[in-house]
Amino acid sequence: MNAPVSLKSLSEADLMKLEREIARQHIDKFPYFAVAWAFTNLAVWLSLWPLVFTGVLPLWAGFLIASFNVAACYLPSHEAQHDIIARPGTKLRWLNQLVGHLSTIPLVLPYRVARLTHLEHHAHANDPALDPDHSTHASGPLQAIWKSIQNRQPGAKGGEASYGETLVRIGRPEVMLDAAIYSLVFYGTLFGLAWSGHAIEAALLWWLPRHVGMTYIQYYLSWAPHHPATDKGRYRDTRSFRSIFGNICSMGMQYHIVHHLHPRIPLYRTPKAYWQMRDILEARGCRLEGL
Amino acid sequence: MFVFLGLIFRFGPLLFGLGFIAPLTAQVIERAGWSLPYAITPLMAGLGIGGVLGLAAQLRGRWI
Repeated sequence: MNAPVSLKSLSEADLMKLEREIARQHIDKFPYFAVAWAFTNLAVWLSLWPLVFTGVLPLWAGFLIASFNVAACYLPSHEAQHDIIARPGTKLRWLNQLVGHLSTIPLVLPYRVARLTHLEHHAHANDPALDPDHSTHASGPLQAIWKSIQNRQPGAKGGEASYGETLVRIGRPEVMLDAAIYSLVFYGTLFGLAWSGHAIEAALLWWLPRHVGMTYIQYYLSWAPHHPATDKGRYRDTRSFRSIFGNICSMGMQYHIVHHLHPRIPLYRTPKAYWQMRDILEARGCRLEGL
Repeated sequence: MFVFLGLIFRFGPLLFGLGFIAPLTAQVIERAGWSLPYAITPLMAGLGIGGVLGLAAQLRGRWI
């Protein structure tokens, strides 16, 4: 579908005005679902431990639920990273920060690391030197999954290593201490559980679900919306796409282009905002692939 | 403290091999009911496998 002729004849300033008018309808809407999701998801993951240890829940079921929990834990924090729950200085700011800090515990990702590096991703999307997520770039879906696994190897240059480089580059090296503490607690817990006779439970409730969840998150949040990650610029660095698993299973990322254009629009409103501004995006020459 | 932390992370793969893969392997062997030859205990096998895998990852800079 091509953009209407009337839109194509508009100036850049007029297109921007229209785009901002639509965005304004969706900004500052409280994301109730994301907040409930953050606490429910964490509570379910924590409850798996006593349920599995007491034999109420079989370990295989615990593994499946834990993998889902880890994959689902990032997005509420992502809302907090963009101050969508509450802006600085507002009454509910504490809730924004609480969601940011708590929701990614299963992923072992500190909020400050996630936030600072994610804002750099927005500022430099697809820049090989400056985008901390550029290491997820791959030629196809299977290659993206393999790349995600490779980025988690001890000597890898991408993944967490590029987050560390980014924090140093932006003058916030002290935040790496958060990541060190999280890692120590994570591995300390795994080792403690393992040597007290619960290695299999530790592996299937946290270690392996974390790898599964991280792969899923990097595939849908980092690789798919930016693929092939070669174009830069506001209207070219992100695309819309149709996932064979639908918008929910792709974690709302089909409409990620709207998020990069207007990061303060809550996730649950990006589909509506996308369809409202689709013709404008078409006139802008955005990559609208299959939607 | 930072020197100590640096050492822990520098030898991360080896520590993971001995600290996690070793007891994990031992408990998998026990739960599966496998019997090992030459009077090798599950923990000895776990330490051997975890140690070798951890050392290999330490030297190669990659697990797979």
